[in-house]
Amino acid sequence: MTSHAPNITATPAAAPEQRGHFLAGLAELRKRLAATRPDVVVMFVNDHVQNFFYDNLPAFCVGVGARHWAPRGAADFLKIPSRQLPGAVDFGKALLKAGLDAGFDLAVSHELEFWDDVSVPAHFLMPEGTLPIVPVLTNCVAPPLPTPSRSWQLGGFVRRFIDARPAGERVALLGTGGISHWIGVPNTGHINPEWDRWVLDQVRDGRGEALAELSFDDIERDGGNGGQEIRNWIAVLGAVPGVKGEVLTYEPVKEWLTGCGAAWMHL
Amino acid sequence: MSDYALNQVLYAKAREHKMIDSIGADEVAGYDLSAEERAALADGDLDALFRLGANPYLIRRVFRRRFAV
Repeated sequence: MTSHAPNITATPAAAPEQRGHFLAGLAELRKRLAATRPDVVVMFVNDHVQNFFYDNLPAFCVGVGARHWAPRGAADFLKIPSRQLPGAVDFGKALLKAGLDAGFDLAVSHELEFWDDVSVPAHFLMPEGTLPIVPVLTNCVAPPLPTPSRSWQLGGFVRRFIDARPAGERVALLGTGGISHWIGVPNTGHINPEWDRWVLDQVRDGRGEALAELSFDDIERDGGNGGQEIRNWIAVLGAVPGVKGEVLTYEPVKEWLTGCGAAWMHL
Repeated sequence: MSDYALNQVLYAKAREHKMIDSIGADEVAGYDLSAEERAALADGDLDALFRLGANPYLIRRVFRRRFAV
């Protein structure tokens, strides 16, 4: 799992020491991800009122497109060259169908253009841009939101889906977002390292359920409106219950407006 | 007048991926906005926009450079 924040790439000169530490953590995450030789990466991410507006805003959505812009319109701002990441169409469609069969009311999109949610992590973790991805989006930005508990259940379903796939297929799970941040609200820029470290302790100790039991209000109070993105981490944790994680880096970066962490789950 | 129209304006502007300080009357002529909403957009008034129900991510993406951080 990793945080995403536009300023990580948009303002490369800011917070050099913290940036160095965080990017070193991402470099390690990239190495470990590559070493697992995945055939597909399921990315638990969230839109930022970019793809989905209030005229049609899903709680959950599976991206089954053959290609995903990450980024396109945001390229200049993010300072990431515009590119498309390949999708895993058959896998994505199978995941969608299995999810609906299992009682998860998943929406679908065949065309997505990502902001920092995919673009920033992919820039560092999948620089070659050849690994097929299946984005699974959770509404974390336009309340009312699906519950963290539902994200945990969704992760559990994705795990069962993967376990039932053909032997030999290798699937990575990557959740992006969080940790604490307050964005566009009156105390924009506030970070809560205490909450961030508590979240990371649960990850480290295999206590994902503690995160799944959080309420919207708990997160809004302690992690900010941006903290609601922790649902993407919770989904990954729901796929590997009880597994202990390793925190690769944590930096509360004022200039990025975000408490940024990255962690690897040891299977 | 509703926060839906307010968000419509911000969403359309956000997709232009430009950084601005104000959305003027001429740009919002076709939208069903209250006088207070029009003023908040014209002034780039972050707190007013939030109070009026604009999505904070849209406020941030459109009026990024009006934030202190």
